[in-house]
Amino acid sequence: MSEQYSADVVVIGSGIVGALAAHRLALQGASVLILESGPRIDRATLVANFRNSPRKGDFMSPYPFSAWSPHPVYQPEDNDYLVQAGPYPYKAEYIRIVGGTTWHWAAQAWRNLPNDFKIQSQYGVGRDWPISYDDLEPFYYEAEVKMGVSGAPNNGSPRSKPFPMQPVAQSYLEQRFQERLAPGGYQVITNTTARNSRNYDDRPACCGNNNCMPICPIDAQYHGGLAVDAAEKAGAKLIINAVVYRIEHDDKDRIVAVHYYDPQKNSVRVTGKTFILAANGIESPKLLLLSASDKFKNGLANSSDTVGRNLMDHPSNSLVFDAEEELWPGRGPMSPSSINHLRDGAFRAEHAPFRIDISNSSQVASVTQNLIAKGIYGAELEEKIRYYSARQCSLKNVLEILPDPNNRVVLSDKKDALGIPRPQVHYAMSDYVHRGMAAAREEYTRIAQLMGGTNLRYSPDGIYGNNQHITGTMAMGSDPATSVVDAFGRAHDHPNLYIASTGIMPTAATVNSTLTAVALALRSADHIHANA
Amino acid sequence: MNHFTRLCATVGVAVGMLASAHAAFAADSNDAALLQRGEYLATAGDCIACHSAAAGKPYAGGLAIATPLGKIVSSNITPSKTNGIGNYTLEQFDDALRRGVRADGQHLYPAMPYTAYAQLNDDDVKALYTYFQHGVTAVDSQPAATTLPFPFNIRLSMAAWNLLFLDGKPFVPDTSKSAEWNRGAYLVLGLAHCSACHTPRNVAMAEDSAQPLAGAVVSTWFAPNISNDPVSGIGGWSEAEIAEYLRSGRAVGKAQAAGPMAEAIDNSLSRLTDADRKAIAVYLKAGPIQHHAGDDTQAAYSWGQPALAIGADRGAARVGDTTLFNGAQLYDANCAACHQAHAEGTPAWGKDGAALPSLFHNTALGHANSNNLVMAMLDGVARKSDDVMMPSFRQQLTDQQIATLSNYLLQHYGNPAAKVTVAQVSQLRAGGASSSLLTTARVGIVVAVLLLLLIVLLVARRRRK
Repeated sequence: MSEQYSADVVVIGSGIVGALAAHRLALQGASVLILESGPRIDRATLVANFRNSPRKGDFMSPYPFSAWSPHPVYQPEDNDYLVQAGPYPYKAEYIRIVGGTTWHWAAQAWRNLPNDFKIQSQYGVGRDWPISYDDLEPFYYEAEVKMGVSGAPNNGSPRSKPFPMQPVAQSYLEQRFQERLAPGGYQVITNTTARNSRNYDDRPACCGNNNCMPICPIDAQYHGGLAVDAAEKAGAKLIINAVVYRIEHDDKDRIVAVHYYDPQKNSVRVTGKTFILAANGIESPKLLLLSASDKFKNGLANSSDTVGRNLMDHPSNSLVFDAEEELWPGRGPMSPSSINHLRDGAFRAEHAPFRIDISNSSQVASVTQNLIAKGIYGAELEEKIRYYSARQCSLKNVLEILPDPNNRVVLSDKKDALGIPRPQVHYAMSDYVHRGMAAAREEYTRIAQLMGGTNLRYSPDGIYGNNQHITGTMAMGSDPATSVVDAFGRAHDHPNLYIASTGIMPTAATVNSTLTAVALALRSADHIHANA
Repeated sequence: MNHFTRLCATVGVAVGMLASAHAAFAADSNDAALLQRGEYLATAGDCIACHSAAAGKPYAGGLAIATPLGKIVSSNITPSKTNGIGNYTLEQFDDALRRGVRADGQHLYPAMPYTAYAQLNDDDVKALYTYFQHGVTAVDSQPAATTLPFPFNIRLSMAAWNLLFLDGKPFVPDTSKSAEWNRGAYLVLGLAHCSACHTPRNVAMAEDSAQPLAGAVVSTWFAPNISNDPVSGIGGWSEAEIAEYLRSGRAVGKAQAAGPMAEAIDNSLSRLTDADRKAIAVYLKAGPIQHHAGDDTQAAYSWGQPALAIGADRGAARVGDTTLFNGAQLYDANCAACHQAHAEGTPAWGKDGAALPSLFHNTALGHANSNNLVMAMLDGVARKSDDVMMPSFRQQLTDQQIATLSNYLLQHYGNPAAKVTVAQVSQLRAGGASSSLLTTARVGIVVAVLLLLLIVLLVARRRRK
């Protein structure tokens, strides 16, 4: 075993959250080392892979799988990396390469609502955060400037400063939804996204390729790969194919080193003063559990026995219908607008709040598959593709599931290629979610009516999609007996271990978790710098 | 002069924008008009392009201008009395502007286009002087000194150069031509100093007066032939297209400005009056024709047609390594998202969206000189005037990839006779070719010294006899 690297700050994971924390600390003069388990893949390769893929809707298909840094793959068949213990499947998609999973996102960069931080005291459900919206606001703004975020100012999250740019121009579909839903009392607002509406940060404006997922081909959309580039430019060092498998502590409970395998399973020890665990909401708790020692038999940072527990995501369910007019989804970003007034209210005591997202993804592929499956061919096929692709619309919701300690990530007895235990997921849906879904379904019906919709296809009751917003597994809190990290993301049990991840969010709220995790990580970085 | 006064009245630059330093000066409306005219002329001369560093204060100098002989650092031309030109008299200002001589008697290097500014008339020199003394905020900072290699560090060498190449006479209007033509000529030959880039230079790096606007390599970019020749030049462009190009940096279906021309449009040409841009177009369309019989077989903008880039390769086995991609695959992975599958570009999207140009009917792919195609990939394209930005691929693509992609594009969408070599890309990446002038001058000096010694020896020998 050799010791080859050392740095002031060692960051485990090169996703957007860890990389932007690394960037901030490197700019402030710290020596920063980023360890990434996977390889570095350039954008051109990913774009080429996407264009050559026969499965355009499989957002994992452009991302190469590497045996030493495995991630879940579900198509063409499930690789069973993420072991499902049930009763409900938790089929998270995440990407273990430099830059992480924001390579394939829709750039939704929302802030939580102020009430999202205190649903226990406000509504008697879930748990409160140890910080308020106001504590995080300056870091939300810092994240928005770095990532180039724009959106509607009336999105429910108060701002101290305006967005760094105007929203991306509305697509025709978005305009028509806005116009037709207004008389029904629905306010359709432009989504808050990290997508350039103008040249910003040496990246061009969105030109409407409509494949934000699985890959923005021009970097109009911010992603973790860009965050890593920025961190390296600021002086951080990146080691690729470095699969951290153990975190080592001393007798004062401080972290002294991490150990990683290269793809040939040679082990390397990396020492540092401060460690940031930023390996996502599933791989991070896995690593803490893997690092169990004589003193910490349940794993590191786990004296509360909550590491891996309270796993959440945003369950969602959809309605597909045919609008009575031609809307031609597919022009502009895939997910441009949403309805937000049901994200907060007294009803949160009773059922899950939700955001309703209006899809603008091209419908050509799904319409064509459906028509072919019905046996339609020739001139009629062409005509019908044209007709339905112009009219088919899709709504989906983003429901808040509440933290439940029985929903959890544990180590399975199955191993990956390097012999590291694979994560196992225990997950269940609650009535709180089902009741929220029932409320959402009523809204769906009204929206479809306002759009003159026909052929309404609700996704089956009780069946929910996964949104890759992995939250809760290393929750922050004031009480070390019930939480993993404190208000600054520092492990209660280890004074120099910080966790930067969506996993430290104690509740999931109703918006995509990336911006909140980045803001939390920037706040942690600020704390690390102040206490260095 | 009436013509010019009328033009300036339409400029519409708010005097209120001017700094307080000259607010008192500008109390008199004649002075205010002079100041305003001076500001417009400074814009037309694009003084700010060279006399401001990136993120530096306006006109405070400090920009290191790469020349084949080395870097020439621009001077502070704010009215600072310690570091700028605050102590210059009108005569001293005039000497610098039109004759290339500083107040201390030292010669300027012709990176300062005084050979063009020599065309300015006395009234315009006075307006510019007024603006730079009273309309510009003084900045007391000293840019780095220019240090060129021997013998060019001897500024007196420029005196000899000026004897040869400086025609010190102001522009004389041609009464047989229209006022518009004369205005265009005055701008093109003088303030706008188009020839500084677009006219080829001789071995002494002076503009070749026999080939005005016939096109030249400037550092890493190619400044095309903008004479009225329909094949080699822009004879096929309408006046309206030229004027629009000068305004927005784009002539649809023909060309778009990048590199130094994009800067000239941002800082200067986009801010001229419509009448002045039209005058420039009128002059260029009536100007001398420079035809290159050898290289040019059809107009640079006329090459190519829409074609599906990836057709033959779609569905083929995936090549995991992008360094092994062929041209079509590189185009598909790096370019097609914006320039589209048939290289047809896209019209403007949204109210603020920029149109993305086609790659056929595009001068960047139509000239025999392929530098601009390579430079667009290396450095991208940036124009503030219409918020256009093509990102740089300097970090993403290797020299080999750029050469492969360029040759593919030239073959399918551009001038198939034009080629890009890997060596060319690596030279352009490194900042362009250096001049042979340095060697020539040094060799020349050695030869001159040897000759002198020989003469001295011969004379001495004769005396001994």
